[in-house]
Amino acid sequence: MSVKIATDTLTLMLYGGVVAAGILALFIWVRNRTRKITAIRLFVQAAALFAIFATVLTLAKWNSLIYGALILVVPIFFGRFFCGWLCPFGFYQDLASLVRKKLRIRYWNLPERANRILHKFRYILAASMLATPVFFGILDWNVWVNFFQFQGGFKPLIIYFLGPLEPFLIPYPGGIGFSDYSLSYPYIRGFTQFFTVSIFTTIAVIAFIVLTLAGSFMVRRFWCRFCPTGVSITLANRFAGFKWAPLLHINKTEEKCTKCGICKRVCPVQVTEVYEQKGGDITTSMCFNCMRCVEMCPYEGCLKVNFANKTLVKSRNWLEPSKLNDEE
Amino acid sequence: MKPQTVEKKYMPEMPPKEVEELNTTIKEASLKIIADNIARMKKTSPNRPEAMQYYDEISNFFGKRAEEIQEEKKKGKKVIGYFCMFAPIELILAADAIPVRVSSGWYDTSKLGDRIVPVEICPVIRSTIGAKMIGLSPFMEMSDALISTLTCDGMTKLSEIMSDTMQVMTMSPPRVKDSKQSLHLWNEEIKAIKTQIEQLTGNKITPKKLRAAIETMQKATKAFRRLQDLRKGSPVIMGRDAMLVNQTSTWDNIQRWTEKTEALCDELEKRKAQKQWACPPETPRVVVTGTPMFWPDNWKMPTLIEEATPQGVLVADEMCSSDRLLYDPVGIDEWTMDDMINAIAERYLMASTCPCFTSKDGNEDRINWLITKIKEYKADGVIYYVVRGCMLYAMEYSRVKKVLDKLNIPVYYLDTEYTREDVGQMKTRVEAFLEMLTARVEY
Repeated sequence: MSVKIATDTLTLMLYGGVVAAGILALFIWVRNRTRKITAIRLFVQAAALFAIFATVLTLAKWNSLIYGALILVVPIFFGRFFCGWLCPFGFYQDLASLVRKKLRIRYWNLPERANRILHKFRYILAASMLATPVFFGILDWNVWVNFFQFQGGFKPLIIYFLGPLEPFLIPYPGGIGFSDYSLSYPYIRGFTQFFTVSIFTTIAVIAFIVLTLAGSFMVRRFWCRFCPTGVSITLANRFAGFKWAPLLHINKTEEKCTKCGICKRVCPVQVTEVYEQKGGDITTSMCFNCMRCVEMCPYEGCLKVNFANKTLVKSRNWLEPSKLNDEE
Repeated sequence: MKPQTVEKKYMPEMPPKEVEELNTTIKEASLKIIADNIARMKKTSPNRPEAMQYYDEISNFFGKRAEEIQEEKKKGKKVIGYFCMFAPIELILAADAIPVRVSSGWYDTSKLGDRIVPVEICPVIRSTIGAKMIGLSPFMEMSDALISTLTCDGMTKLSEIMSDTMQVMTMSPPRVKDSKQSLHLWNEEIKAIKTQIEQLTGNKITPKKLRAAIETMQKATKAFRRLQDLRKGSPVIMGRDAMLVNQTSTWDNIQRWTEKTEALCDELEKRKAQKQWACPPETPRVVVTGTPMFWPDNWKMPTLIEEATPQGVLVADEMCSSDRLLYDPVGIDEWTMDDMINAIAERYLMASTCPCFTSKDGNEDRINWLITKIKEYKADGVIYYVVRGCMLYAMEYSRVKKVLDKLNIPVYYLDTEYTREDVGQMKTRVEAFLEMLTARVEY
């Protein structure tokens, strides 16, 4: 048993090391290729999708640990890097956006106010995710039975269609983690699964997927605007004790900025701080470090991505009309 | 059919004979001045880049380029003139029209402008009016319409005066750049001007054409920035030459201009590698900011700086007649019509550092641009150039001075007129300033 755990741990560390090295290598390679950020990001996202499939299949035992780390610990240090570069659901949404782009349909921008309200909405979402199991448990003792046995007609479906992505589609495993499983359910399932109404659950989940994917077809990264995953970075940002923690920043040099407004326009989740704030750290809890602004900023060194005070990527004086814009 | 006579609001009736006389004399004088300016530029830098020859040729208003445009016009192309650099060149190009900037730099015509507007008015305006009165500028005469952006007070009324003689399309930029309603207004203005350009030329601006135009301009910007980057180190090109290159882009065929400028940059790069400097590297480096200077006559300031003893060299400027022209690219997120129009609107409004803007923190962008330029180009001093009557630039001076004082960069306020009378006096002032800079460089 202990040998098994040791082997697993070792494999895990190996995986982690390879992934970290890969990302680092990419960044070094990318250094003077700011203009390719979007392509590289899509590549990383695709790779992450397969990596996650592979990890989950081979290391099923550690699922909840990996997810926990990805979802709860990584944001503390990397901000919402996970959302922008690794999250498969984000990747799905980006793909939907790409299809729209190919069709030459223009995206819709949400009104700034609506965007802000949606952004706040995720706190409510996160809180309710955490609270539902408890709430239903009080209503009906059987819920706790389901809860601990992880039953429900929905489970096979989700494995069938989404496989290991279930926890990613629904990134916040509310409630309590237990041995190999995260014990509560996806957003919709959270409300329904406890009563094991399989048809209703199925419909609800499909509706959810269609809604978010259709939403992200017209509104870039629709779900990400109120996805509860980002809550943990806010924790890191809000509380003084965590101020040291976020290592990944996007910084702006005030003097080089002519307020041309490109950064604001290209941001997929309509972050306005990148434009409005004069200088310094412009990473917000909405920003998921997709670095599109850095890619598109036409002023040399105006926007920089800093990791632990080291500049990874900075905006370039791009002027070759990018082929990327065409091919994407 | 009787020609419709529209009552002129401003323009006086001038006897055709007088017009013709004035036109010939001023044109002759102008040709001389162009030749003289070029000769002096050659004299100042004995090993002037060979590629500059092209710009010398194209800088002649009455020469090759005017004929070319005439030819194109015969083939049915329309010409659209503009005053301020807010006119969306991309849209003009996309409609298969030829954009030319028609702001005037002729000293002599400013005297003619005095007949319509008082002398206190900015000479750029007066000179442009004067040029129109006698039909001096071939580009303006060939223009089928003018795009006038109502930036400063002078430009606002200029469009009105010009509308006496030709079609003028006006665009009204908001005075506050960074509020939501401003961008909205400006977006609408761009859309409106697009429709007007389409109506004038009869060509529809399709996404494909617009994209091609944007990419053409991006390439031009690339060449333009390359040239400005080359000016950062020890001087490989005199400031006046670079200014001429920059300014020819406003009336030249932009594709050819891009090619020629890339060639010029290649040559300059070679020179840089061989350490062939245009002037001694320790020459005081000057940045000029303020009122735009237009070729050919208003070449007084740069000539004075670069021919003075001790000599100075213009390494950069913050003027809408030179370094700001093509500096900002149109950044496109997705190549849809809406996004392109949006991007064009933002490029012309938001990136502009024209003093006609203000905001919560004042025209902070201009200050930032200036500081960046000073740092990047390692400038030793700044000359703040203002023509009398240019209020917006004059009023921003004390703010600029305060900021530059903090950086310990000497700044010198020079005000002048569209006249040659004060050259002697200005020379003394410029030389004193350069003397001081030299002392600062040496000690």
